[in-house]
Amino acid sequence: MSSNRRRHANAIPIASFATWGAIALFALGGGLGYVWCKNQLYATGTEIRSLERELAELKNKNEVALSKIAQLSSTAKLQERYDSGFIKLVPITNDRIVVMSNSVPKQGAGELRNVSNERVAE
Amino acid sequence: MNRTARTRALTVCLSLAGCFTVYSFRLVHLQVTQHDEYAAQAAEKHVKRQTIYARRGVIQDIHGESLAQNEPVRTVIADATLIKDRSQMADVLASALALPRAQVLEKLGREVFSQSQKKNLPAPYIVLKKEVPESVATELANTLAQRKMRGISTEQETTRVYPNGQMLCHILGYVNGENTGVEGVERTMEQFLRGHDGFRYTERDRTGREIVPYRGQEKDARNGCNVKLTIDMGLQNIVEQELDTAIKQFRPKSATVILMQPKTGEILALANRPNFNLNVQDKVPPDHRRNRAIADMVEPGSTFKIVTTAAALTERIVRPTTMINCENGYFASCKLHDHHPYSDLSVNDILVKSSNIGTAKLAIQLGDQKFYEYIRRFGFGERSGVNLPGEIPGVIHPPHRWSKISITRMPMGHEVGATPLQMAAAMCAIANGGYLMLPQILHEIVDEQGRSISQFPPQQVRRVVSKEAAAAVRNAMVEVVSPKGTAALAHVAGFKVAGKTGTAQKYDEQTRLPSHDKYVVSFLGFMPAEDPAFVCLVMVDEAQVSNDKNYGGLVAAPVFSRIGEKAARYLGLVPSPEVPAGSVMAGQNIRD
Repeated sequence: MSSNRRRHANAIPIASFATWGAIALFALGGGLGYVWCKNQLYATGTEIRSLERELAELKNKNEVALSKIAQLSSTAKLQERYDSGFIKLVPITNDRIVVMSNSVPKQGAGELRNVSNERVAE
Repeated sequence: MNRTARTRALTVCLSLAGCFTVYSFRLVHLQVTQHDEYAAQAAEKHVKRQTIYARRGVIQDIHGESLAQNEPVRTVIADATLIKDRSQMADVLASALALPRAQVLEKLGREVFSQSQKKNLPAPYIVLKKEVPESVATELANTLAQRKMRGISTEQETTRVYPNGQMLCHILGYVNGENTGVEGVERTMEQFLRGHDGFRYTERDRTGREIVPYRGQEKDARNGCNVKLTIDMGLQNIVEQELDTAIKQFRPKSATVILMQPKTGEILALANRPNFNLNVQDKVPPDHRRNRAIADMVEPGSTFKIVTTAAALTERIVRPTTMINCENGYFASCKLHDHHPYSDLSVNDILVKSSNIGTAKLAIQLGDQKFYEYIRRFGFGERSGVNLPGEIPGVIHPPHRWSKISITRMPMGHEVGATPLQMAAAMCAIANGGYLMLPQILHEIVDEQGRSISQFPPQQVRRVVSKEAAAAVRNAMVEVVSPKGTAALAHVAGFKVAGKTGTAQKYDEQTRLPSHDKYVVSFLGFMPAEDPAFVCLVMVDEAQVSNDKNYGGLVAAPVFSRIGEKAARYLGLVPSPEVPAGSVMAGQNIRD
């Protein structure tokens, strides 16, 4: 067998190897990518679930706080606190209230007007 | 290949083919014929429909104060199949949930009969405690996690909380265990308050944990709308306080106060006694739950005289100055008495002195049919249409069912069954110049973002009496609240008050005759008379006072006065310069 023919017979099919290698690498990469994506999906899912739980807890806390605020600022509670003397308010007696009557409209320029609080002045 | 070998090969091939045929048949049977059934079974095991609960709407007063609120709570559930040490678990649960240890232990020991295994097994679902506060549930979960104890879970729920407790109990109503309104506004506005639950299909792994990427169809919950009432909590508080004072003073069987805005028909405050705490209502007797303002029928007594007088004036049968002979206190043909003997009284004075005989004569002049028409036009004998459940129409018999003396008894509020709300609405018609307004308890419905969904503008039902007649009756009622009238004690310093007292004998259920010691007394008035800001009805049933003091002018009028004074200050009403401030007026004729 001539050396040329031997060389030809024992030649390594690099192109073919490269093709199959590329296909194998692509398949491997694809597989790994798929697993990675799937893993990411699960991780994100877990994160979503934990965030949802956190959000639900915050909403619950908010509802509890709102309910507490409503109870503490309710008329009945405020009246109770006022009656117990906690809120130190003193009722304004009638003699302490000044009622302003309607002001007299301006008649002309430079004209003097009556003071509006006539009832008190009396 | 010889014949034997070929036969063997053929046999093997046929056996294999037969085997594959059987398997193929089974495969087709499973995948095609029974696909749906098995797919459903698989889905049932892994796919779950998770309900997303809608939040129930909040009820608020006109200024946005919360009257009914939601509070998240949890139901603590035990799965006895997962609990290893019941005694240790009972210790933890008893201290965290404040339950007796023996009770917890008994619950954890519950068993259910398994049909498949034909024996009793630990129960997988045991409700340990309901309505556990969020903070307690969180603390319990942390304790269990620290001790690595399994078998306890919680379910999210909400409970309805009424921050004002007893206040407005008959208006707000309450919800049942399934969060459905069964009384009051909670019931009438159920479709708006409820909201719509959403859902989500989730897939779970074998440990029961959700696989989020495989989530299926999802629909968000639509929370309920908020309902805004016409009630003003400032005024409601005034009414409740004064009603409590009256209850302590007179110890009546029941009492009702209604505050209405006459121009719009809005109910500003409404309180009944007896009442109950909306947050603790397990053992409340049904009698306490009744909204007496709309569900009780009473004879209105002399307050009904405004109907007769206004009708006669509208029909121009008489004028305010027309003189009527009041028979010196006894109208023999009708066997009718007056508290004080009067000879001739003007129509105006008939109302001021509350003469039964004078009012009866006005009705006689009006005639049966006309008088009946006016009673109906004032809204008596029909439901007012307020958005509250359980309203009754009252009883007004048509003229063909009247007795011979009915025309003399009905003008003074006897033989008439009316609800307190009907009476207040009738007075609103006088106060606003003659229009019957639809009593309103709802102001607005808003969504979660505060956008208005629906509003309830004032609604005129009909014109009842002429403007002039309403004004004449109003002027007469101002004199009622004067030293010469029957309601001198209803006076409010600095303001012109118009009103009418009423005292009605109750019927004794045993003797079926008018009782001599049981009265329903009332005062129905408004202020300021010139431009009414509110109409107020005070009604007291069976006040525990002596008979000579059991009159509307003595029992109900002072309550009105106190409410009027505080309400005027709260609403910032400007006192009338014509009325001296701080004067105390002595009544001369308060027996009515």
